[in-house]
Amino acid sequence: MITLEKVWFSYTPSGPYLLQDLNLSINDGDYISIVGENGSGKTTLIKLLLNFLSPNKGTLTSTFTKPVYIPQRFENLNTQFPITVYEVLNCYRKTLKIKDIDCITYSLNQVHMYEYRNSRIGTLSGGQFQRIFIARALLGQPDLLVMDEPSNGVDAKSQSEIYLIIKKINRSAKVTVVSVEHNLKAAIENSTRIYHVAQGSGHFCSPDEYRQEYLQANTRSNPYATL
Amino acid sequence: MLHYSFMQNAFVVASLLAILCPLIGIFLVLRRYSMIGDTLSHASLAGVAIGLVTNTNPLISSFLATSFFGIIIEILREHFKRYAELILVIVLSLSVGIAITIISAGAAHTNVEVFLFGSILTVSRTDLYAVLTLSAISLTTVAFLYHQLVFITFDEEGAKIAGIRTKLINYVFSILVAATISVAIRIVGLLVISSLISLPVATSLQLDKGFRSTLLFSIFFSFIDIIFGLIISYWINAAPGGITALVSVFLLITILIFKKLHSTIITATK
Repeated sequence: MITLEKVWFSYTPSGPYLLQDLNLSINDGDYISIVGENGSGKTTLIKLLLNFLSPNKGTLTSTFTKPVYIPQRFENLNTQFPITVYEVLNCYRKTLKIKDIDCITYSLNQVHMYEYRNSRIGTLSGGQFQRIFIARALLGQPDLLVMDEPSNGVDAKSQSEIYLIIKKINRSAKVTVVSVEHNLKAAIENSTRIYHVAQGSGHFCSPDEYRQEYLQANTRSNPYATL
Repeated sequence: MLHYSFMQNAFVVASLLAILCPLIGIFLVLRRYSMIGDTLSHASLAGVAIGLVTNTNPLISSFLATSFFGIIIEILREHFKRYAELILVIVLSLSVGIAITIISAGAAHTNVEVFLFGSILTVSRTDLYAVLTLSAISLTTVAFLYHQLVFITFDEEGAKIAGIRTKLINYVFSILVAATISVAIRIVGLLVISSLISLPVATSLQLDKGFRSTLLFSIFFSFIDIIFGLIISYWINAAPGGITALVSVFLLITILIFKKLHSTIITATK
């Protein structure tokens, strides 16, 4: 469980505050999608949740002991790198000092990528690539999975596969999931709760409430939409 | 040719280099740091010059100087995050400046050419032992850090998050580069060391394999490069540095042509 109380955050000591007076709690077993405009502070918020950044004011307490983070795909990553799927997972396994080699087979099976274990990562599609990163994150048996736009740059068919996998990890393996989403359809269909960040603050809403808010906000700003 | 003890020494050192250079090189090339190898090899000339003046073994002095410059590069990297290539210019100016000043002032009484171009004749027994020690240390360190180095090279951000001490490993790695370069000076000369560090890796990257296979193939290619370099340089009585560099380029081009032919044949038969 993570609890934020009156959290303020700024990248510079003098402000302006990107996040202001945030109060929220994430329960064990939640699947939370964080939505909001570009630059509203979504990524900053997950970095706070992961303890990569610490709040300037307020308190943040977390009971999760094994959080993992899957950053946005293609960010500083060379897809032509000469490395196989197995090697990607194995160097992570060694880093975490996990003795059991079978955990690689296990987590590749969880994302349905076992038959690709000897493929070079450069030969994988965007969706397969993302699944490998999910498999890698699962190696350490995390209790919190934090993702930044897991379906970014992935075709529609692979997107639904990815969300099925994430949903399964959340529901059957009881891993708490927090995911920054631009994909509103995915957020509404998959998450248990949606956290809407806007103008430095945020609030929780159910998928249905968010759908209403979204329609309202977008039709109001558009005079031609008269529905 | 192998009954000369200097040739025996040269072959042992060459074989060690054939393993060491691509082992370090693969990480440098894949992190887009191959120019750092080149800069440090030029920087080692300052170490050689200092060694000649102070009468210490140039292998030791160049190792110390190159490690020093390697660490300077790592420190400057913090200050010039967006201008990485500028760091190399700064380090080159300092190191080559020192070298030229010492050598041109006539303080070093030995022929510097040997260190620039490499020579088989200069490999003495003492050198052999020094090379053996440095190689053993480097190989053990890389073997120990292998998985972490692969992780950092593939995904530095992810490695940091997973708890790898990337900064420390980067410093250790700089020293490994320095050790490799100081060892390689003897055979290939400092002007073309980067050909041994980068070219076998560039060649084996063409094979589109995984990391371990790419590494093993680059060791295989560098073995061909350096052994042919030695044999040919013995027969035509030229410095091994130049020939090794030429063989490595030739091998790369051969593989490129072979690959091109192979893909043409495959598309033709389809």
